[in-house]
Amino acid sequence: MDSIPQPATPTIEQIGSADLLVGLLTDLSQDDLASTCAALRTLPGTPRIVVLQDHAAAAPPAVPEASDMPARDSSLFLVPWSPRNLGATATPVESFSTAYESIFETGAKLDVRAFCLVASNLENAEPGWVSRLAQPLLEGFDLVAPCYARRRFEGLLNNSIVSPLTRSLYGKRIQNPMGPDLGISRHLYQDVLATGQDAATTGNGMHLLARLAPVACGDDFKVCQAYLGSRVYPPVDWTGVSSLLTEILGPVFLAMEKTAARWQQTRNSSPVTTLNESTPPPSQSSETLEIARLVNSFQLGMRDLREIWRLVLPPATLFELQKISPDKFRIPDELWAKIIYDFALAHRLRTINRTHLLRSLAPLYLGWVASYAREFENADPRALARRLERLSLAYEACKPYLISRWRWPDRFNP
Amino acid sequence: MWKQVQDALHQSSTAFITKLASLLPGFVALILALLISLVLAWIVAVVLRRLLSSIHFDELLARWGLSPAAEWSPRRSPTLLVSGTIAAAVVAAGLLIGVAAFDSELTSELVRNIFAYVPNIIGAILVLLVGTIAARFLARSVLIAAVNLNLEYARLLSAGVKVLVNVLAVAMALEHLRIAVGIVELAFGILFGGIVLALALAVGLGSKDLVTKSLEREARKPSGEAVEEPLRHL
Repeated sequence: MDSIPQPATPTIEQIGSADLLVGLLTDLSQDDLASTCAALRTLPGTPRIVVLQDHAAAAPPAVPEASDMPARDSSLFLVPWSPRNLGATATPVESFSTAYESIFETGAKLDVRAFCLVASNLENAEPGWVSRLAQPLLEGFDLVAPCYARRRFEGLLNNSIVSPLTRSLYGKRIQNPMGPDLGISRHLYQDVLATGQDAATTGNGMHLLARLAPVACGDDFKVCQAYLGSRVYPPVDWTGVSSLLTEILGPVFLAMEKTAARWQQTRNSSPVTTLNESTPPPSQSSETLEIARLVNSFQLGMRDLREIWRLVLPPATLFELQKISPDKFRIPDELWAKIIYDFALAHRLRTINRTHLLRSLAPLYLGWVASYAREFENADPRALARRLERLSLAYEACKPYLISRWRWPDRFNP
Repeated sequence: MWKQVQDALHQSSTAFITKLASLLPGFVALILALLISLVLAWIVAVVLRRLLSSIHFDELLARWGLSPAAEWSPRRSPTLLVSGTIAAAVVAAGLLIGVAAFDSELTSELVRNIFAYVPNIIGAILVLLVGTIAARFLARSVLIAAVNLNLEYARLLSAGVKVLVNVLAVAMALEHLRIAVGIVELAFGILFGGIVLALALAVGLGSKDLVTKSLEREARKPSGEAVEEPLRHL
């Protein structure tokens, strides 16, 4: 008896070339995948689109049956794909950055005009939300950063360091400069690759992501944000914060070092175009923080890591930290901005081993989280945007301090 | 009888004077070698001091975590310590060369033995240096990791690691110097084993709950979390 012939899934080599590569690192359901493909097919100009679907991330039934495969469509190809397996010893960030790197490599093989990277799940997502990242790319934008509905205790590393630092340094108000959902033009990708051609930064997707915003803001690239909705965040593991800081801030500080000449000339920040803008009232996060535990972590750091911080922070900053009382625990925004700037400078000067440096930031970061959480304990969640704006303004206000310390680290040490 | 005594005295005086005269070139050579080595040591010290100052050696050492070197140094400057040590080594080498110029079997043997021992001294110094750097690095790693784990005894743990590595380095250096090898081995075994056992007991008993909690947390983690975990902060 003859078996029923199945249409073969095309390989990257068979497809040859494409206009847009969409990498799905998230587990979309069968329906979501179908609606995503349908939305992508409606993009203007009928581009050739390749959708890479991560086998590991997908739920078992998510790979469509052969008869439903959108691969039959001549303009859209769905290709099952697995990022390189780094083994059990790889950290989550390493696995994630390797997956991104692999998508970029595949895109280069296909000679695509743009990449679209999708790594999040959204709450009550609108069908085809992925095309919101893709469409601006086909309209001439080079970087499409995501905008999510804000919640008090989510995306804290981004809200407290990555986003305000990017805004202060490069002059563009991007809510999530490192994605993780991103649209990137080939032109921008090639420029980012060209700016980091050294042994320390190649072969690491996270380094590449950290350089996206600096390069896009500095050169004549068109940058926009696309509002995507409410992102689903898994619960926070506070004990792994130090590794996370090392893996995320290391590339951010390296990018800062490489673009120093450029950001020292940028003075003020300006907003970027936000597409599909929507400002729903920030929802209450169900998560509660153990503020006392966070304060305790900060105080433990203050007691035991002071010798290390003394090598990084100027005496005035250490004195300010010492003055903070556990009862009225609050880290002022200006102090926080200066701490981050001092750590960036110490990273550049290699004052101490870089991994030690970034790991020793963890108690200070937890202290900032405690201070922020205490402020928001009884505050109106609608004040969140204003609160984060105040923090960003503090980063901008302290930028002359950074420039002075960066230029004259020995002479300017208040 | 008196004549015989006179001859004997004359012979011994002649022998003494001859011996003394034969030693004189050696003395002159020793003084010359010392003078040359002193001048050479001064030049080497000046050049080294300038070279080390130009590369900010003191700051570099502090950055590498070798700030105790400053405490042992004259005027708290490791640059002065290094240049002084090298200068002293040059003078010592000059002295040994001068002593060898006596050309007697005893002095030649002595100098040969001392020179043969120099590699051991250099090896021991290198072992101590590497040991100090490693101890400092590991102690800092342990301190930061322990503070990030909210351990109250982070400093104790870090100090323990530092002492362990330093003890290991000193034992290795003494073995290099071939000083009481048997005693050092035995003492080191007892001391190191004792410290490890004490630390194991202290940490094991103190962090029983922490280890249990950490293992439980690992066991509860769903398998798909690995890739998604970091994203919640961004």
